[in-house]
Amino acid sequence: MNICSLIVHTKPTQGAEVCQRLLGFQGVEVHGGTEEDKLIVTIEDEGESMSPVSDTMNALRDVKGVVNTVLIYHYGGEESMEEMNREIN
Amino acid sequence: MKLTRRDFIKSNAVAAAASVAGVTLPVSQSVAAEADDGIRWDKAACRYCGTGCSVLMGVKDGKVVASQGDPDAPVNKGLNCIKGYFLPKILYGEDRLTKPLLRKTNGKYDKNGKFEAVSWEEAFKTMAEKWVAARKAKGPKGVGMFGSGQWTVWEGYAAQKLLKAGFRSNSLEPNARHCMASAVGAFMRAFGIDEPMGCYDDLEHADVFVLWGANMAEMHPILWSRLTDTRLTKPGCEVHVLSTFEHRCYELADNDMIFEPQTDLAILNYIANYIIQNKAYNKEFIDKHVNFTKTPTDIGYGLRANDPREKAAKNRNKGKLTKISFEEYAKSVEPYTLEYTSKLSKVPKDKLLRLAKAYADPKKKVSSYWTMGFNQHTRGVWVNGLCYNVHLLMGKISEPGNSPFSLTGQPSACGTAREVGTFTHRLPADLVTKKDAHCKFAEKTWKLPAGTIPRANGKTDGADQTDISGKPMGKTLIHAVAMHRALNDGKMNTFWVMCNNNMQAAANMNDESYPGWRNPDNFITVSDPYPTVSAQAADLILPTAMWIEKEGAYGNAERRTQFWRQQVAAPGEAKSDVWQVMEFAKYVKVEDVWPADLIAKMPEYAGKTLFDVLYANGQVDKFPVEQVTDSRGNKYDNDESADFGFYVQKGLFEEYRLFNSVEGIPKKGHEMADFDTYHKVRGMRWPVIDGKETLWRFREGYDPHVAKGDGVKFYGKPDGKANIITAPYEPAAEPPDKEYDLWLCTGRVLEHWHSGSMTRRVPELYRAVPDAVVYMHPKDAKKRRLRNGALAKLTTRRGEIVCKVDTKGRNKCPEGLIFVPWFDAGRLVNKLTLDQTDPLSKETDYKKCGVKVTRA
Amino acid sequence: MSETERKNEINRRQFLGNMLKTACGVGLVGLGLGAYSKRASTMPANYIRPPGALPEEDFLGACIRCGLCVRDCPYDILFLGEVGDEVATGTPYFIARTGPCEMCEDIPCVVACPTNALDHDLKDIEDSRMGLAVLIDQENCIAFHGLRCEVCFNVCPIRNRAITLDMQHNTRSGKHALFIPVVHSEACTGCGLCERACILEEAAIKVFPMHLAKGELGKHYRLGWEEKEKAGKSLVTPDTEHRYNLPEGVRYDLQGEGLIIEGEAEETPFSSNPLDTLNSGFMDK
Repeated sequence: MNICSLIVHTKPTQGAEVCQRLLGFQGVEVHGGTEEDKLIVTIEDEGESMSPVSDTMNALRDVKGVVNTVLIYHYGGEESMEEMNREIN
Repeated sequence: MKLTRRDFIKSNAVAAAASVAGVTLPVSQSVAAEADDGIRWDKAACRYCGTGCSVLMGVKDGKVVASQGDPDAPVNKGLNCIKGYFLPKILYGEDRLTKPLLRKTNGKYDKNGKFEAVSWEEAFKTMAEKWVAARKAKGPKGVGMFGSGQWTVWEGYAAQKLLKAGFRSNSLEPNARHCMASAVGAFMRAFGIDEPMGCYDDLEHADVFVLWGANMAEMHPILWSRLTDTRLTKPGCEVHVLSTFEHRCYELADNDMIFEPQTDLAILNYIANYIIQNKAYNKEFIDKHVNFTKTPTDIGYGLRANDPREKAAKNRNKGKLTKISFEEYAKSVEPYTLEYTSKLSKVPKDKLLRLAKAYADPKKKVSSYWTMGFNQHTRGVWVNGLCYNVHLLMGKISEPGNSPFSLTGQPSACGTAREVGTFTHRLPADLVTKKDAHCKFAEKTWKLPAGTIPRANGKTDGADQTDISGKPMGKTLIHAVAMHRALNDGKMNTFWVMCNNNMQAAANMNDESYPGWRNPDNFITVSDPYPTVSAQAADLILPTAMWIEKEGAYGNAERRTQFWRQQVAAPGEAKSDVWQVMEFAKYVKVEDVWPADLIAKMPEYAGKTLFDVLYANGQVDKFPVEQVTDSRGNKYDNDESADFGFYVQKGLFEEYRLFNSVEGIPKKGHEMADFDTYHKVRGMRWPVIDGKETLWRFREGYDPHVAKGDGVKFYGKPDGKANIITAPYEPAAEPPDKEYDLWLCTGRVLEHWHSGSMTRRVPELYRAVPDAVVYMHPKDAKKRRLRNGALAKLTTRRGEIVCKVDTKGRNKCPEGLIFVPWFDAGRLVNKLTLDQTDPLSKETDYKKCGVKVTRA
Repeated sequence: MSETERKNEINRRQFLGNMLKTACGVGLVGLGLGAYSKRASTMPANYIRPPGALPEEDFLGACIRCGLCVRDCPYDILFLGEVGDEVATGTPYFIARTGPCEMCEDIPCVVACPTNALDHDLKDIEDSRMGLAVLIDQENCIAFHGLRCEVCFNVCPIRNRAITLDMQHNTRSGKHALFIPVVHSEACTGCGLCERACILEEAAIKVFPMHLAKGELGKHYRLGWEEKEKAGKSLVTPDTEHRYNLPEGVRYDLQGEGLIIEGEAEETPFSSNPLDTLNSGFMDK
């Protein structure tokens, strides 16, 4: 399982538009920042292919209106979900 | 709130990115926050102690999802203690009981079988069979019910009717017998009417607070915070604390006293002596308002009759008062000099003197507070009375700040156990089964034939009452401790324990409680929401709806009656106590328990069930089912009313009011407002007359029962005078000796309520205080090669338990005494305690017996 | 702690560790996934060293990663840092929220230490300074709202010294008191029992390593009243007696309450309650 968060800088005032474009990608969610033109984005996968997260990340850079992407956080782990749920709750 | 791993990680990921970017996310994006939308708030009285805090419970989708202290409640102003903070969680323990469970083997009831789920019908059928048989074979004491000061008012009232009128048995007791009986006894002897004359407002008006055997800091946490505030903000205010070990209250003490167990009797007599010797008493007050009396001495310890200590007692169980003069009274306390009392009690002289001076100073308003230290005492009625003596001598009573105040342990020890009278000897509103006229009044009010209720002596109009067996009824009173003995002896064969955990709570489990319950002749029913120690020892377990899963009413220590509506439904098939009592009554016919000559007096009752006679009597079923709403239009369920087809709680309460709030009743002074009013107010303090509450009783201007010009009138007594009752110091039943060389004292801790059946199911409270420990002096520990944290074995003549030693914790014991809390089902301290009682109040003394401590 | 609990604990730790690794990664943007600094120069704030541990730099030098302290801890609260942890591999620590130090009187972990990384001069566990409890969230601690909790105070093994209750008037309710827990560094050992017991979902009182927990007064500054008490007298020439021009019936108390107007209100021979007077017999006085 991979989960990462990024800041996606967009061209001025294009935050909302870019947001719509990003949502077209599988596993991508936008959590806010359209006002500031700094989108808070998460990308996740369940490990079906070798490196879809990094692929997606690369792809995001080429989206229209995107100036830059910055990776902030990455979690990559293999433990079973159940085990982790037990620990958290 | 449940989080999946993915959500959790994602929220961290999002938060990290947002913080780096300097972006503020909308609230819905953050995992922690959840909007309060759609929560229905309503008031309820807190489930735990006698303080009676009000709480607001937030319900959404049929579940309690939020709670808060009630900011408009005069008692707690929005505050809670740590138990109150976690109130919602007590409803949702994972092991709630949801189905009736009966011990069975091969599909049939078997005392030694395994618990199997059964229908309510099968449960009650089996139970009714056993109850009717026991009632016929063993007489009025053959059956028994043990209820609670945690019952709602109408639950106690319904049970009162079922036992005393339905089964014609006085074998009804509340766990308040273990808790408040000594206080009741002293109120009746001194004032002729139960419950404190003052109220919590004394906490702001007193100059001096004296704590006698009450650890208010932990057991009445919110009252303690009021007392503390007065001490902090009122110039000259002082706090005196007395106990047999140092507890949390000592943090605030200006005068701290640790006394040798049982010598509180001597200390109070010393104070009276000091007041008299210095002529500080209020002569005019005692001339006008006080009678002097004495009580028989050497009265035993409430043990079984064959115990040598009982055989040696000259006046076993005797308590009849005789009048004496002031001079005789003065002489009776003369031996209690400062020297003698200091030596006996081990309290330094200067501290005793300071205490006596505080009481004797006419300018200082003194409020005394006590709880189990006084009540759970083999001379409990005496010692309660000795405190009243001091207040009466000074006239420091029944006015703001001058209050002898008996605090209650349970949320409705006053409201249910005492006011409804669910004791063997009582009827509602201070009436007693000893008095033929009181019983006749109750029979008339309940529309029953004269002679239905068993009199204490089994006689009405001078003639024997006939029992179902055809034999004379005989003596009918049996108190809580005697019930366990009767079960043990096979004299009582069915026992129904409701809303308490008496196997864990009653003293001397090994010799009395456990063999009594497991006696093959006996059938034990336990109603409880959780699998408690009592449930484990039962034959039939009935799953119970708790607290706000039903409409309820509690009465707190300051005479405040508080109502709440049903907030949520009970899980599974769990049913409230009032439902259980009334539904069970459908399974017993009048002919099963009443003799023919009694039925002949009201032939219309022939062939009817006890439910028909007691609850479908045109009074209890008077009010039709209605949609319960609050002032904001929110709707509430009422499961009992839906089941029985009438407004159960309203009918029971309004019939109960026929005992205390109408013309022509035998005992005035307990007037209450009507049912609907209580649903609107944040509680009211009785007597409520013309809609007005009473804050201080017996004082003109404050109490409408005191006529103009009377000043003070103790109207519970025919001559309007209170009794000063002299009683000496007498030693405890089982002081330490060579082998059992320490005193054992038991009690509670702040974090857990009573036997812990609710609070130990709250993970946070369990984590805070997981297990009971033995608090002891480091020197006592060292002598036994023990240290803090080590495992110790505690042994008495009756049993042993193992627990960890605590020499540093919140309770600091003097050398020679240990303290063990009783909340822990894993360390049952009542295996150790002695089933000694006050011979007058029959209340158990859990505070004093001999114990040996060794390395485990 | 059972074997499974322990395993979970380690998993949780790895998980926490992973999070922190990537948090470090913030500073290394562009290096790609999975890049992190292997060597931790500081431990996470909630990792506490066992009793008697030398200052961190010295401790890391002295500790030979033998694990004997972990083995001898009777309550199994100690862990050893694992590869990838934010704590030097093989060195011992505990986490107060889940497993605080139970403060054994004979301090077996220190006794077990072969190198004095856990200082053998520590004979009384109450002298240990594993960290310092800090009541870090006064907004959520329910004591600050007047609720009667005080669980941290109740469980503190250095009773009434490491944590005391400061009783204050509750101005909101007007008639209750607040019982505010206050931690005293001169007695707190940092055992963490309070943090474990805190009934909030996230503890309001937490144990931190001393350097994170404690502020430090400017080295030049002394608290005058404390210095005076220490010295038992004024450090400079004592003040002389002052005299004042005052009208009759008025005093002035320089060190105390200031201006005192005598006979102002109060102090009549009568109680404010007329019943006191009415009820007191005059014959026998």
